Amino acid sequence: MNTEKLALTTNSSARKPASAGGASNALAADLTRALGPRKVLSNLSERLNYRYDAIQFGATPLAVVLPESTEDVVAAVRAARAAGVPIVGRGAASGLSGGAAPLEPGLVISFTRMTRLTIHQGRREATAQAGVVTLAVTEAARPHGLIYPPDPASFRTSTIGGNLAENAGGPMCFKYGVSGDYVRALEFVDEAGEVHRLTRDVFDLAGLLIGSEGTLGLITEATLRLIPPPRFTRTLMAHFPEVGACAEAVSRAIAAGAVPSKLEFMDRACTNAVEDYLHLGLPRDAEAVLLVDTDGEDLETVQDELRLVEDACVASGGTVRRAATEDEGAQLWRARRSVSPALGRIRPQRMNEDIVVPRSALPDVVREIRALGDASPFPVVQFGHIGDGNLHPNILFDPRREDAHAVHDLAHRIALVAIRHGGVLSGEHGIGSMKRDFMRDAVDPETLAALRGVKRALDPHGALNPGKILPAEEVMVDG
Amino acid sequence: MNNEIPVQALGGQGEVMAHAVDACVHCGFCLPACPTYALLGDEMDSPRGRIVLMKEVLEGGLPLADAAPHLDRCLGCQACVTACPSGVPYGELITAFRGWSEPQRQRSALDRSKRWAILKALPAPRLFSVAARVGQFAKPLAPVLPAALRGPLDLLPETVPAMQPSPKVTPARGVQRGRVAFLVGCAQQALAPNFNAATLRVLARNGIEVVIPDGQGCCGAAALHTGARDEALKLVRANLDAFHPDDFDAILSNAAGCGAGLKEYPMVLHGEPDEARAKAFAAKVMDISEYLNTLLQNGELEPPVPASRPLTVAYHDACHLAHAQGVRAAPRALLRAIPGVRVLEVPEGDLCCGSAGTYNLEQPALAGQLGERKAKNILSTTPDLIASGNIGCHTQIQSHVRRQGSPTLVLHTIEILDRAYRGEL
Ligand SMILES: Cc1cc2nc3c(=O)[nH]c(=O)nc-3n(C[C@H](O)[C@H](O)[C@H](O)COP(=O)(O)OP(=O)(O)OC[C@H]3O[C@@H](n4cnc5c(N)ncnc54)[C@H](O)[C@@H]3O)c2cc1C
Ligand code: SF4
Ligand code: SF4
Repeated sequence: MNTEKLALTTNSSARKPASAGGASNALAADLTRALGPRKVLSNLSERLNYRYDAIQFGATPLAVVLPESTEDVVAAVRAARAAGVPIVGRGAASGLSGGAAPLEPGLVISFTRMTRLTIHQGRREATAQAGVVTLAVTEAARPHGLIYPPDPASFRTSTIGGNLAENAGGPMCFKYGVSGDYVRALEFVDEAGEVHRLTRDVFDLAGLLIGSEGTLGLITEATLRLIPPPRFTRTLMAHFPEVGACAEAVSRAIAAGAVPSKLEFMDRACTNAVEDYLHLGLPRDAEAVLLVDTDGEDLETVQDELRLVEDACVASGGTVRRAATEDEGAQLWRARRSVSPALGRIRPQRMNEDIVVPRSALPDVVREIRALGDASPFPVVQFGHIGDGNLHPNILFDPRREDAHAVHDLAHRIALVAIRHGGVLSGEHGIGSMKRDFMRDAVDPETLAALRGVKRALDPHGALNPGKILPAEEVMVDG
Repeated sequence: MNNEIPVQALGGQGEVMAHAVDACVHCGFCLPACPTYALLGDEMDSPRGRIVLMKEVLEGGLPLADAAPHLDRCLGCQACVTACPSGVPYGELITAFRGWSEPQRQRSALDRSKRWAILKALPAPRLFSVAARVGQFAKPLAPVLPAALRGPLDLLPETVPAMQPSPKVTPARGVQRGRVAFLVGCAQQALAPNFNAATLRVLARNGIEVVIPDGQGCCGAAALHTGARDEALKLVRANLDAFHPDDFDAILSNAAGCGAGLKEYPMVLHGEPDEARAKAFAAKVMDISEYLNTLLQNGELEPPVPASRPLTVAYHDACHLAHAQGVRAAPRALLRAIPGVRVLEVPEGDLCCGSAGTYNLEQPALAGQLGERKAKNILSTTPDLIASGNIGCHTQIQSHVRRQGSPTLVLHTIEILDRAYRGEL
């Protein structure tokens, strides 16, 4: 994978827009002076494109910086602080909670050109700048006999910086853990433009930055742990006449002692949306489809585990198909990764939940959400990393014809189902601005106050990604 | 994507555009597929970014002149369409947008004359041939010419072959199995006349009668994709008059770009009186490889003569075949049908070679980088031959492979099959 990005220089023959002459505001002018025109976007046509992520549109930034080094980030942060405007970090903007969409005009720092990547075979580590595309790490590591397991469905697009900021998970995470579990060290730039290099031995400040959605600091580089790939992998697909039965099969398989490497579920609407895209011959009539990988060093164990899962599926009323070839397995996983965007075929917009519930509660939760959906005017679909109890109920709607308040209300009720069953609001997509209001339901006031204390300690001026994660403080009125 | 595009004011093409914008959920899955994003690494030069720019211009929130540089850098390769799980018809959007916006563009005199020359010469094979010869004389001047003029010169082959007119009817050899109409193409006749000659030989050998209907002309794709909608409509209507779909089993093209153009006719005429005619026409259009592959799959393809020695062929997926028409398996199957031939897959195979119609002329810097990257990727497989199904890719790849100092030949898939039939492989 080529990682060098070509920047349009003034002497390059690819033209800049006609109006590129002068920076449109003081911040852009300052940045251009500090960093040169190549790394600073100030035209409206350029800035308009940095106000969204995969779920939301926000405010148009005043300027966008495309840094190539940590020093560039430092310069950008200092300029923004001097101008007194907020700073939003951005990777590939594949986020699903509005995280990279600025809520107010300010500076967007987009890491897509910070793509330096080094593999240290002996230490089984990779050093990746924030903008390295997730899949590129595994691709670069593979010739050294290593892989980087965290694999969000967006791994062809999303960046290491974005993954760490969201603590992204993926199908592999049931057995291998989430992005944060692979971080040995982090480099970040704070709100004042100071560079810090963290390991994880004393206060786990790196752990605090992981999952902080760009609200505590800007991650510029990470040292990631790599592992040897499992020697054998086997894939099966099971389908069920009822959604709850699928969840039951999962609980049963795990109770029987299986530790699959991937356990993913999609309901009927998902299967059909993907089938429209890939034409793989997925079972369109099934109410739920389960995809499972088992892997390991020893083929016999891998197959034994697959059999445990198979038996659990059959016992719960499922029909099982084993992938005959590696290719077939790969196709099935491609199907799963395409679920989320393929839903765009049903309705142009969606409200995306990301709940995690105890596995024992799964069958009930899945059924209750299904019932809520059936009683509402909106298509509600479900899929997710069911092995972790991580579900993504999505409410699909058309903003031109349907009521956004009703959508929000339904989303809230779904979130409450999760909380009632002892679950949490976000498994991996983050809170962002989408689920910020639900934080009061999920987190008690004392804990919320502690979180605010952390935020104040690391970002005293509230400059970093304001309006995300933490709900606005209620103003106390005496008497 | 939420939008307020004034569909009513824009007519049939407005519907096409609004539908595409609606369908985009801005997930970013298309980003890694896009060649310009791969080179530039910014959002405005990505498919998702371009969709947003077009939406903004259509809604009136952004001046066309500001969006234009980013839209102009789009190759129209449609790799983003293949990558998009939401089914966004990006190709239709950009084509309709270019048609809608071109009349409002302010272009420099040099730009205008370049576009004029392209649009006039491309559909007129004789004129093109003359222009190509003139270009040959100009080649030694290349180093002192401005980059805008250097691009096209770099691309010309070392020799411009003589034109070979094709017969109106090529009878089937042996028992006649079918009857097809054939679009001879325009620039291709001048630059690579053997593509057509080989096509006619291979079809005849397989018992297919080939008719080249009178009155046919350029498919109109170049005009359409550069926004010259009126020119394009003239060419489209001329072809609808020339080809009578009911008279043939299929309407064949051996140039991926033209085939894709022909298949687009219903979209071009969406909401217009000729729409039904365009649909009937497009339903019969096939790439030569698709057609021959149906024979192969039915066990009806004349078996090719085995290659004289084991041969490796790196197959290059032309964007307009793989992405625009979804034809990937057929040409590979045909090559594999030649005993002794092994087909090699090219790293980053989905990335455009940078030729993309008139891109070489309009964006020489980016086109050159992509051409170089493509040639390196292909040569990394150390093939004996390179195959592709498109004249644009052919000239681009051949010129960059030469520049890398390799003598490897680039042939049309059909030329390889033809050589096999003639025992010359
Ligand atoms: C189709 C689809 C499937 C998905 N599947 C999954 C999945 O399986 N698992 C999963 O966990 N997520 C998934 N996601 C969500 C998303 O891809 C992940 O959250 C991803 O990690 C975001 O990475 P990004 O580079 O796109 O970040 P962005 O969206 O650009 O940013 C995400 C957040 O991180 C912050 N940020 C970005 N870079 C930095 C940095 N360098 N320093 C500090 N803060 C930064 C931003 O401010 C923002 O708050 C999916 C998204 C899509 C569209
Ligand atoms: S992949 Fe499709 S839906 Fe997603 S951003 Fe690209 S065009 Fe839009
Ligand atoms: S058509 Fe090709 S160049 Fe244009 S946006 Fe799509 S992928 Fe990029």
